[in-house]
Amino acid sequence: MIKTIKARRRKDAIIRSTIYALGSLGAIILLSIIGYVFSNGARLVSWDLITGDFRTINTDVYVTEGPGNFTDINYNGDLELFYSERWGIGFVNTFNRAGNEAVEIGYVHPDSPFNTSLDRNNRDEEGNPRIIPIRAGTTVEKGFTTETVFLGRFGAERIAQILNEGQGIREISIQTRGGGIRGSLITTLYLIVMTLALAIPIGVSTAIYFNEIAVQNRVTGIIRSMVDLLTGVPSIIYGLLGAALFIPLLNNTVGTAGGSVLSGALTLSVILLPTIIRNTEEALKVIPAELRNGSFALGASKTQTIFKIVLPSSIPGILTGVLLGIGRIIGESAALIFAVGAAIRDEVILTERSTSLAVQIWTVMGGERPNFELASAIAIIILGVVFIMNFLVKLLAKRLSKAIY
Amino acid sequence: MISIRDVVTPQKIKRKNLIDAIMRNLFRASALLSASFIVLIVIFIAFRGLSPFIRTYEGFNFQQGVVELEPVNVLRFLTGNLWLDGTLGLSTAYAIGFAIINTLIVVFFAILLSVPVAVFTALFIAKVAPPFLAESMRTVVELLASIPSIIYGVFGLGVITQFVVFVSGFFNYQTAAGLSLMSTVIVLSIMILPTITAISETSIRSVDKTMIDGSLALGASDIQTYMKVVLVAAKSGIFAGIILGVGRALGEATAVAMVSGNRFSGVNLNPLGTTATLTSRMLLGLKDTTGIDYDIRFSVGLVLIAVILITNVGLKYVMRKVGNLDD
Repeated sequence: MIKTIKARRRKDAIIRSTIYALGSLGAIILLSIIGYVFSNGARLVSWDLITGDFRTINTDVYVTEGPGNFTDINYNGDLELFYSERWGIGFVNTFNRAGNEAVEIGYVHPDSPFNTSLDRNNRDEEGNPRIIPIRAGTTVEKGFTTETVFLGRFGAERIAQILNEGQGIREISIQTRGGGIRGSLITTLYLIVMTLALAIPIGVSTAIYFNEIAVQNRVTGIIRSMVDLLTGVPSIIYGLLGAALFIPLLNNTVGTAGGSVLSGALTLSVILLPTIIRNTEEALKVIPAELRNGSFALGASKTQTIFKIVLPSSIPGILTGVLLGIGRIIGESAALIFAVGAAIRDEVILTERSTSLAVQIWTVMGGERPNFELASAIAIIILGVVFIMNFLVKLLAKRLSKAIY
Repeated sequence: MISIRDVVTPQKIKRKNLIDAIMRNLFRASALLSASFIVLIVIFIAFRGLSPFIRTYEGFNFQQGVVELEPVNVLRFLTGNLWLDGTLGLSTAYAIGFAIINTLIVVFFAILLSVPVAVFTALFIAKVAPPFLAESMRTVVELLASIPSIIYGVFGLGVITQFVVFVSGFFNYQTAAGLSLMSTVIVLSIMILPTITAISETSIRSVDKTMIDGSLALGASDIQTYMKVVLVAAKSGIFAGIILGVGRALGEATAVAMVSGNRFSGVNLNPLGTTATLTSRMLLGLKDTTGIDYDIRFSVGLVLIAVILITNVGLKYVMRKVGNLDD
């Protein structure tokens, strides 16, 4: 008897530890996902990334003035500056947005000839070379002094030394940093605003219809189950809806050519509908009937009751749906690839294609050389927003359970 | 002295009723609009997805100029073993049969991997763990559910494919940079874990307390009670979670497309070989927004909808059968 009890205890202990092990696996996965994106992308997250262009622009510039002596420098960056006193320009070793080593211009002296450097390839309307001042933050690709050639991979120290020894500078090829996410960020904000503007009124009205107005009969049941079916539709199918319905619709009415931010917003608003309807309805259901009856007894009409009594009490539920919806919009990729497109733009126009943050990840991860660093940096931003939304929903749920009508 | 009739005039009542009627119809219109989308999805995808089987397309070829292309053969499309037989833009010999099978294989193994972890996690949260740990794990599951597909894709490509490359090293096997059936299954099983866990947890929590007490009173240990009473009683809820998980897994696109390798032909059962799902075939290689290569993706979408519906109905039938056996 004691033997069986012992055997049972042993068996129980094994099962219990299995439950603990498998039960904590989720936490390990979550931590490794967060750890991975932070270790890869944290270095890139900066104000400069958020406001920067994605496109890189290459320019070849030359200077007409000779060398001088520019000694009093006022550099306050973090990276070690290799400075050429004769030309008043300093270089730093850094990493570009693809995670590769690069030499960037770290400092330009206010009197340096590089403040009036000229464009080698393009002229203005009058045929004069355009002035392109070199700014800190551009990458050095290569260059020619009167004596020799230097390449970006020589490193900042060598380049500064070569410049210092040079009698004249024939040409320097520079490249703007690129890889920024400003365009995608603006697109995402546009998508959030427009999608919510479409989905909230329709979703809330639908919830009100089901809960306040509709007679509970077969027809209502069918309509309700049709709305419920939307929950199970995968996002790629919504993308096909956007491509087959909304893009042609907008092409014929607004005059867009192919996918656009607008078609993306229309598609996303259909995706959000079930979430907003469900959360609003849940809030409507818990509003006690006494509240409505009290309103009717005071002589208020149905419409007055809905707008003055029912809706204000259901705001937390609507807000929950909205917060979850924002998380969904920010993370949505497959639907937008079909309903908008995957080409990254710096200048966002509502009637043209551009990418959201999530689709920018898709684009930079595609192709021969996936850019893990940039993808992870964007992922940090997306995760941050999504987690904050979830936290707010939890907070809201706590407030909601305490609410007294 | 003011009479009530001065305040509540018939005109005012009329106006009130009119506003009520207008608003009621506006709310009804919204509901009908919301409900219509599911119909619009089916109609518009069917319209676009059936056209490759009906109409002819134009292809361009340097020898002959513009050539007319045959409509896609339906039977071949549904059963074929090669995505595209011929040159892109010049052939309409598309087939998706192999990807249907590969999709089902991927989803089957993902469920197989995910369910034990999900059920034990649910048991952990609902019964076994001390309150603080249970609350933290519930938050973890919620956060996992909220992570977008694209980030699972980045994680899959950055970590899981590298793990597969590491594993394949032991077998001296050269994978396609880790893009494989195994990585797809792992990524997918992580993605459906929160769905199954959440539903299982709810059903485990709602198991009748008297049943648990009865088991404990008969001398069973708490673990025995969980395994033999609670899990059995929560069976139908767990199964509902699995059905939901299968639905999500079948439709998952971005992450799967990133790690599957999107093979061009053939059914693959080798965990280290590449695979292709319906969604990966739809999403990858998207170039033009017209022509046969674009429209055929809508046909694949139709097949995907059909596969999801059939598996859903099938699994619900199985669930009912299993449920009936008990009674």
